Amino acid sequence: MNSPNLPVVSEGSRLTPGELQSVVFARAALGRRGYDEEQVRNFLAYVERELVQILNDKAALAAEVDRLRAQAAKGASGVMAPEDAHFQAVRILSQAQQTADLYVADAERYTRELAHEARLQREAILTDAKGRAEHMLEDAHRKAAAVADAAVRDAERSRPGPAARPGALPDDERRAMEREIAYLRTYSDVYRTHLRSYLEALLRNVDEWENSEKASLPSV
Amino acid sequence: MDPQRLKDNFDHVAGQGDAVALFFYADLFVRNPHLRDMFPIGMTGQRDKLLRALGHIVSRVDDLSALVPFLQQLGRDHRRFGIVAEHYPHVGQSLIATLRHFSGPSWSDDVERDWADAYGLVSKVMLEAAEEDSLHSPAWWNGQVVAVERRRFDICVLRVQPDRPLPYRPGQSVALEVPSRLRQWRYYSMANAPRPDHTVDFHVRLVDGGPVSPVLVRRTETGDRVRMGAPVGTLTLDESSRRDVLLVAGSTGLAPLKAILEQISLRPDPPRVHLFFGARTRDGLYDLEDLSKLADRFGWLTVVPAVSDESGGHGFSALLQAGAAAGGGDVEHGPLPDVVAAHGPWDGHDAYVCGPSAMVGHTAERLRRLGVPDDRIRLETFADAQR
Repeated sequence: MNSPNLPVVSEGSRLTPGELQSVVFARAALGRRGYDEEQVRNFLAYVERELVQILNDKAALAAEVDRLRAQAAKGASGVMAPEDAHFQAVRILSQAQQTADLYVADAERYTRELAHEARLQREAILTDAKGRAEHMLEDAHRKAAAVADAAVRDAERSRPGPAARPGALPDDERRAMEREIAYLRTYSDVYRTHLRSYLEALLRNVDEWENSEKASLPSV
Repeated sequence: MDPQRLKDNFDHVAGQGDAVALFFYADLFVRNPHLRDMFPIGMTGQRDKLLRALGHIVSRVDDLSALVPFLQQLGRDHRRFGIVAEHYPHVGQSLIATLRHFSGPSWSDDVERDWADAYGLVSKVMLEAAEEDSLHSPAWWNGQVVAVERRRFDICVLRVQPDRPLPYRPGQSVALEVPSRLRQWRYYSMANAPRPDHTVDFHVRLVDGGPVSPVLVRRTETGDRVRMGAPVGTLTLDESSRRDVLLVAGSTGLAPLKAILEQISLRPDPPRVHLFFGARTRDGLYDLEDLSKLADRFGWLTVVPAVSDESGGHGFSALLQAGAAAGGGDVEHGPLPDVVAAHGPWDGHDAYVCGPSAMVGHTAERLRRLGVPDDRIRLETFADAQR
């Protein structure tokens, strides 16, 4: 049996697709039945395609190995060093702490602003209330003084001349007291009226407050 | 140890500011996560304290007579934080790491040895003082609130019963911690001379935006617990002096001066005492009722209340205000230093001043100009200590 005319291949190297292509088979002797030439060619073409595929795969794998080796090498000399890991942790913790400090400072500023506004409102309300009270007292005083004067004038008109009775107060003193009584009655009367209207206004405020709070609640 | 080399290195590092302390604490906590719980969540104030303390120590590293008392106090102060001997090496390690990191190329073996020596000395003095202190004093006192008096919406007087006797000199203060604001200590002065039942009073004013004072003023109730550190402070009565006494209090700066006043009242032969009590407005004179009673009882005591932000008033509003300040009598108007100066002369008095820093500064300055020698003025401010 004739062996195919294989090219001389040096030790250690591999069969290449080109070598396969250059293989020449000897013709079968006349009259003897040999391989079908067409079939042999087809088969060799098939082997060649397979070889190409295998070599391509091999190159891709070698590249992948190189890539992984390079990555592993880079990792070993950088991120994984304990010294650097420590600094990284310190850096991350520092950043976290700064964030926390920022939140704390924001919250403090917010409560400070709220408290400041509340103080201003409190002062405004107090000033307003003091102004009203002062107004009420002055008004009461003015009216009471007028009424007292009128009372004294009336008394003088109805009892002209000195008419001292025994046991009774002297006229001057009695007039002064009448005047004082009239003053106080009117004063307290005017003051009560003012106070009542002020308290009613306050109650209305409380009602409004309650209503607006109810309105702002989600309906159940 | 080469003190100059140490100072130069520290100047170089400290010039890089807050980042240095930020690195130090992060390094400390990465190496020792269990130490994180000993500090508050917000660390801004803590970092300032660290840099200030380090600066103070380094600037006096070649003057042991000044440095040692400071370190001893620092060591005693740290007992209430639960700091013990085993914590000191951790701190030293992170301190060196921080200094190395921020020194850059100027770091050397010599500098490292300087720092190691200095830190060894610092921790030795602090620890010895802490140990000595622990022989006769607890690391902290537990207290229970036994009375709460709200004097105004933002001022409150608390009475606390310590779990064991709390020895102090009138005018001193303690650091206070409330359970809902752990690891946030604020200094408050005892407002009374020591009592047989050991209870102490604190005058607390709400500071807007502060984490601790709003809790103390608005939310504290009878039965609540607090922790107290050891009493500290130098605003105490000069008992060797026979001179008359001038007390100038702004707002809750009254507390230590009231304690001193009580101490004086216990003397067999008290000197003449003038107490000026100032606030912005009349309703800020939260303790005037009690002070007026004391003035009625003690012939040697004169109490002068003063408000700075309200005009003298006239007619009916003055009448109303007089009614509002129950038992207050009349009140002077104007900035406290001016009111004090108008009542002089004071050059024969010992002066004690406590209140907001501007008020204390101006009052002390005014008294100096009126001829009161510096060594007869004792003062204290509560700038940031009571937030």
